[in-house]
Amino acid sequence: MKEIELIAYKCKQCGKVHYPFHDRCLECKGREFEPIKPQGNAKLLTFTQIFNLPWGFDERFLIIGVAEFENGVKAMGQIKADSIDGLKLGMTLKPSWEPVRKQYGENVFGLKFTP
Amino acid sequence: VNNPPVADPLRLYDACPVSDGAAALVLCPLDMARKANKPPILIAGFGQATDTHTLQEREDPTDLKAVRLAAQQAFDMAKLKPGDIHVAELHDAFTILEIAESEHVGFFEKGEGGKAVAEGKTAFGGQIPINVSGGLKARGHPVGATGVAQVAEIVWQLRHELPQERQVQNAANGLTVNFGGFGNNVVAFVLRRVEQ
Repeated sequence: MKEIELIAYKCKQCGKVHYPFHDRCLECKGREFEPIKPQGNAKLLTFTQIFNLPWGFDERFLIIGVAEFENGVKAMGQIKADSIDGLKLGMTLKPSWEPVRKQYGENVFGLKFTP
Repeated sequence: VNNPPVADPLRLYDACPVSDGAAALVLCPLDMARKANKPPILIAGFGQATDTHTLQEREDPTDLKAVRLAAQQAFDMAKLKPGDIHVAELHDAFTILEIAESEHVGFFEKGEGGKAVAEGKTAFGGQIPINVSGGLKARGHPVGATGVAQVAEIVWQLRHELPQERQVQNAANGLTVNFGGFGNNVVAFVLRRVEQ
């Protein structure tokens, strides 16, 4: 299993977690951050099923969602499901780092979630 | 009708067509505008606000914070309340946005916007007619010209210059909300008719 290569940034002043990086903390305007890895499983916050996909995707549709990890990192990723019928807000998802699309014949890795 | 899903729950005809288009406004001091043979329309209030670029960083993905703040600034500057507005142009790049914005500018409580549409409250002749022009959904969305076209529409409404079938009777105060990205940058205007 590949390690999740996603880095979030925790404000050293107030503790707010940012992903992606910001020069200033969105909460307290602090400038110093500690890089952190997402930890544990993730809780589903919102999702949709997209049928009009950009170049590089072979699928007929994708299900994507925003989820929050146990240490507060929030990120968007593909949800590994055949339909959105079984998905519920607040459900627990198992994160993984996998090929999400092809670019010039090469795999591009990204976040996926398994319900 | 072939109306395929684009992104659940929105379908093709929930999205506006991105199109070509142009719009223009003439801005001048009020004393000059008074010399014209049309009632001057005053920019009574203006507001602008931004929100995070990425959806996941928002505390609540259903909260259009920039719409809320921009509209509030515009109402405060104009010393008017949402209930004082007679006609509005809201940025309906997608059907859901008109509904969500109608709540965030203060016309309806959160969660009530959809019911208000179903009950005809936002229709021509309703409590607060929204997008009588047809909005972006009907006019198209020439991105750079859209906000100006919204203001032009409200100016026509407040001057009582439109054909009867879409002229809001006695309209004196209007609101426009223009919306960039996913609510990353929002601009609101409160416009007021000045009697000659």
